[in-house]
Amino acid sequence: MTQRRRRVTRFAGLLALPATAALVLAGCSGSGSTGDAGGDADSFTFTFATSNNLESPYETLAKEYMAANPGVTITTNPTPNDKYGETIRTQFQAGNASDVVQTTPGSGDARGLVPLAEAGFLEPLGETATSLVPSGSETLFEVDGETYGQPLDFTIGAVVASMGTAGMNGITTWPTTMDDFYADCEKLAGDGKSMIALAGAAGPNAGLTAQGIAATRVYAEDPEFNTERADGSTTFAESEGWADTLQTIVDLKDRGCFQQGAEGGGFDAITNGLAQGTSVGSFIPSGSAVEIAAAAPAEADFKVQPFPAADGGKPYVLASSNYTISINAKSTKKEAATAFVEWLATPEAQEKYYEASGLLPISEYKNLDLSDTIYSEVVTDITNGSYTTLPNNVWPNPAVYEALQVGVQGLLTGQTSIDQVLQNMDAAWTD
Amino acid sequence: MSTTFRAGEVAATETERVVLPRRAGRRHPVPAPRRKGLLKFGYWWWALPGILFVVGIHYVATSIGGFFSFTNWTGIGAFELVGLDNFVRIFQDPTKLGALWNTLFLAFGSVILSNILGLGVALGLNRGLKSRYILRTLFFMPVVLSPLATSYIWKFIFDFNGPLNLILRGLGLDTVARAWIADPTWAIWTILVVLVWQNIGFAMVIYMAGLAAVPVEIEEAAAIDGASLWQRFWHVTLPSIRPAVAIATTLGLVNGLRVFDQIMALTGGGPAAATETLATQVYKQSFALGNFGYGAALALLLTLIILAFAVVQQRVTAGRSKED
Repeated sequence: MTQRRRRVTRFAGLLALPATAALVLAGCSGSGSTGDAGGDADSFTFTFATSNNLESPYETLAKEYMAANPGVTITTNPTPNDKYGETIRTQFQAGNASDVVQTTPGSGDARGLVPLAEAGFLEPLGETATSLVPSGSETLFEVDGETYGQPLDFTIGAVVASMGTAGMNGITTWPTTMDDFYADCEKLAGDGKSMIALAGAAGPNAGLTAQGIAATRVYAEDPEFNTERADGSTTFAESEGWADTLQTIVDLKDRGCFQQGAEGGGFDAITNGLAQGTSVGSFIPSGSAVEIAAAAPAEADFKVQPFPAADGGKPYVLASSNYTISINAKSTKKEAATAFVEWLATPEAQEKYYEASGLLPISEYKNLDLSDTIYSEVVTDITNGSYTTLPNNVWPNPAVYEALQVGVQGLLTGQTSIDQVLQNMDAAWTD
Repeated sequence: MSTTFRAGEVAATETERVVLPRRAGRRHPVPAPRRKGLLKFGYWWWALPGILFVVGIHYVATSIGGFFSFTNWTGIGAFELVGLDNFVRIFQDPTKLGALWNTLFLAFGSVILSNILGLGVALGLNRGLKSRYILRTLFFMPVVLSPLATSYIWKFIFDFNGPLNLILRGLGLDTVARAWIADPTWAIWTILVVLVWQNIGFAMVIYMAGLAAVPVEIEEAAAIDGASLWQRFWHVTLPSIRPAVAIATTLGLVNGLRVFDQIMALTGGGPAAATETLATQVYKQSFALGNFGYGAALALLLTLIILAFAVVQQRVTAGRSKED
């Protein structure tokens, strides 16, 4: 080695040690900051899921709270939605989860609050939370009589349709019977467009489509289906309603109601299809309608529309609280966190939440005048109780919903049969 | 002038001192070699922290994972030991056979194709072509790109309204155009295409190193003796690069058996589980579905399969090179 080379190597060696030390310290402090926000008793951390880079409604609520309560600092941790459940589980397991965490009711999902509460990660909440739990769905929010998640929203699961696009293609009113629906499908398919944009390769959309249709074919006739299944008095394979639901999906595909290549479509197929007007509607959560409406021209006029019932059936939609707020059992800032969570239940906070997200607030939705909003077409269904909870929130484990999602994909590609899908859902059900 | 140097004598000239041998006798003891620089103070136990890290992260963590395969842990909360239940479940589940078949198909398919094509490219770019240095760089570039990022781009290419189908429709082959990634028969081939595309460069580099060691004279001698191009390759070049073949196939096989990023990005295991492999099943069972114990059992099985193939591979190629 030449003299210069040797000096350079020595120098590099000397630099390596402090550089490594700096990296290690940066890594340690990065993970430590989620649990330690300033040391002030009124400061805490808040984790929630986000699907994009726009300001989340939760961020808006946190800012409102900080404005109303000077001296309180909330450190928000927006976390990507697609792996949100796995992320918070890892954080809870490692002991560095935030003080306030957004979760989901039930146990049908990796972010479901029931398994987290059973594992001892969540703090029991008080009366405010319990009073907001929709009656009939206590098992989704409570374990052993204690409530572990405060519901925040009231989401409606039906078809989000652009009435502007429909109008431009000669469809002036939303079809209320399957015959009208199929007629509209044929009209659109002739122009290379579709009634429904389906992301067949994205499990959540395939599953939500099936559940949206099941609302009319299964739960309209038999609202207690989930309880009966849990008791063992019926199965998916025996249920004519579920067989009808899956048959409807096959029929929709065969009669051109889905866009071409639907079996391989991703979420971008929905966003592009709805925003550009090549598809009229899609089975997406009502909150997403607000986001897509921002990307689409104003004439799009998005409305939440109920999927037509089968002949002789009655209209039915999905509606439930799908986002809850929970408190970390290991939090050192429980008082401050509890004050924030209780504030979220107040009418002002609910109003802000509605303005920021377009999602109906859980306590105030009954008092809002929705006739001029995207919900105008489903107001009657909601007020007269023609809705059911999102089924997969009630199912006992994520594998059942996974079997439904995979099954819908298999029906679209012709890999599987309706009986096979129902049997798989039964096999995945564990008590 | 004497022809040796006696101790105590002074060299008459500079030349004498350098050239004349010393007479054997009392010699200065050879000084112990002084280590240069920082290593002057080094001892073997300075490697201990590094060893502890490797043992801790690789072996202890893997063993703990292996332990969980005998439990029913969901990833959070309490668990119970269930013995071999998870393994029994694996062998009773018909979808796992499909996953095993896909794993082997992708592994062997990518090894064979990327090695044959890599060898072809290496032979072509070995010598002669003026632009071979630029071409070598271009062929190697896919290897250094992120598998996840390139898989998303390939997903766009294979999309129903993507460039591939546009070209096919433009050529009038409308019936051939389809949703490639969602087709039960073709989805696994799209993954294979992406894997081979990314790994050709790696195989090429290994074979170029092997070919560089083959002397030109042997090939020229064979050519003079009347051997055809194929005979020269099969009987002269290929035996000389046997070690390179061994390395390339071992590495390719071990990596091919555990490929994950490309499958999750392209098809996510779909359509309807048609492209699930053991690696994707491990992820889904452990993290998405909360069956951590079952996923750990699958992971243990995958490890044993990879180990078995690696050992067989080594035996086969080591045996061959011993014949030389």
